[in-house]
Amino acid sequence: MGEEGQVISCHTVDAWNQQIQNGKNKLIVVDFAASWCGPCRAIAPFVSELAKKMPHVIFLKVDVDELKEIASDWGVEAMPTFLLLKDGKTVAKVVGAKKEDLQQTINKHAGNSSSSA
Amino acid sequence: MAVSGFEGFEKRLELQFSSHDPVIGIGLRQLDFKSVEQVLHQVQCTVVSALGNQHFDSYVLSESSLFVYPTKIIIKTCGTTQLLKSVQPFIHLATTLNLHITELRYTRGSFIFPQAQPHPHTSFQQEVVYLEDNIPTSLCYRKASVIPSKLTSHSWHVFSAGAVEYSDNVNPLDLYTVEVCMTELDQTLDRKFFRHPNDGKNGDSAGREMTEMTGINRINLNSQICDFAFDPCGYSMNGIDGDRYSTIHVTPEDGFSYASFECVGSVYNDDMADMVKKAVKVFGPGTVSVATTAASHDICTRIKATVEQIGMKCRSYSMDEFPAAGTVVFQTFTTRRNYRI
Repeated sequence: MGEEGQVISCHTVDAWNQQIQNGKNKLIVVDFAASWCGPCRAIAPFVSELAKKMPHVIFLKVDVDELKEIASDWGVEAMPTFLLLKDGKTVAKVVGAKKEDLQQTINKHAGNSSSSA
Repeated sequence: MAVSGFEGFEKRLELQFSSHDPVIGIGLRQLDFKSVEQVLHQVQCTVVSALGNQHFDSYVLSESSLFVYPTKIIIKTCGTTQLLKSVQPFIHLATTLNLHITELRYTRGSFIFPQAQPHPHTSFQQEVVYLEDNIPTSLCYRKASVIPSKLTSHSWHVFSAGAVEYSDNVNPLDLYTVEVCMTELDQTLDRKFFRHPNDGKNGDSAGREMTEMTGINRINLNSQICDFAFDPCGYSMNGIDGDRYSTIHVTPEDGFSYASFECVGSVYNDDMADMVKKAVKVFGPGTVSVATTAASHDICTRIKATVEQIGMKCRSYSMDEFPAAGTVVFQTFTTRRNYRI
């Protein structure tokens, strides 16, 4: 799809729904961020690195100003909030720019399919 | 008391900025993270985790905390950090955003290990000299004062400088700051701030467990918490609740155990005394000091009454006026069984 290894920004509700649909059977990591949030900017390069290292995991980014209803539907109150989704359901949540915790939580839920064809 | 150990007592700096431009937007929150990290490097600390909301950004540091609002920076650091070295760089960084400093406030308690402090923190006098040398002359309403208590080991050091005199007009939201310092923590309670070796947790997940296990998460149920547990012991958290922050730092080692709770309050939120009480209960300290800046007499007496409800006795109540900061009230408490002056 040409998007593996990258963080995919969702700018519309349709794009969001599409990505969630496409990502069934995979782990999806959603980074809820905002342009005015210093901690979000601070951790963004780290998230990009994770996306590169884990092509079998889908990394999405949602700007909470752009997609307010999605942020509120998913109970995002502080930024950054990372939701880990499987089959459209939250399996884990990391609130804050916490590199080690984010990496460990993703590893725990990503399984060992990094060498998937 | 131990001959030497970790200095829990923080140094705290609050910098208020203003712009000639009526539209400030996100102001200081635009600052590039690398620039902020460089300032922290001079102070000798680093960011361990961070969390923001629509009002401000909060950072848990290797030594305490940093809060960045559009026109305000609050930074407190413990240990042997050189906090005042951040004054010039922060003022400079703000200038790049067309923001100029209008007020500065520096506060701290009494160090447990004053001999271990590096320049410019070797004495309060030195700190004041350093500040006087590093702030613009436009901050002309200045005062430095040490507010005493009946406990020789506890006094409150304040340096305040502002471009305008303090008045209720300057503080339209009636915001006030409460800084609580606790020593001689209950030894059973402070065990909870030690990590278990090889527990498979990281600093973030161990911190989250401490937040829940100790009841820190129940101090303000509306706040989002960013927490961290240090190895082998120690804990820090920032709470964000709308535009109000709270922060807790713990040094649990026997002989120099220390915990602090700080929170910003508004006369429109009436829960401050209750939060102070809950925070003190988490630690069961032998001695507590509470410094309130720009709070009404009524709020101070309410805090006194609630802290006394949990077996502490107020030993002193002193105050001082600062031309740019308003009234600072400094109260000290000890447990009733621990009555010694």
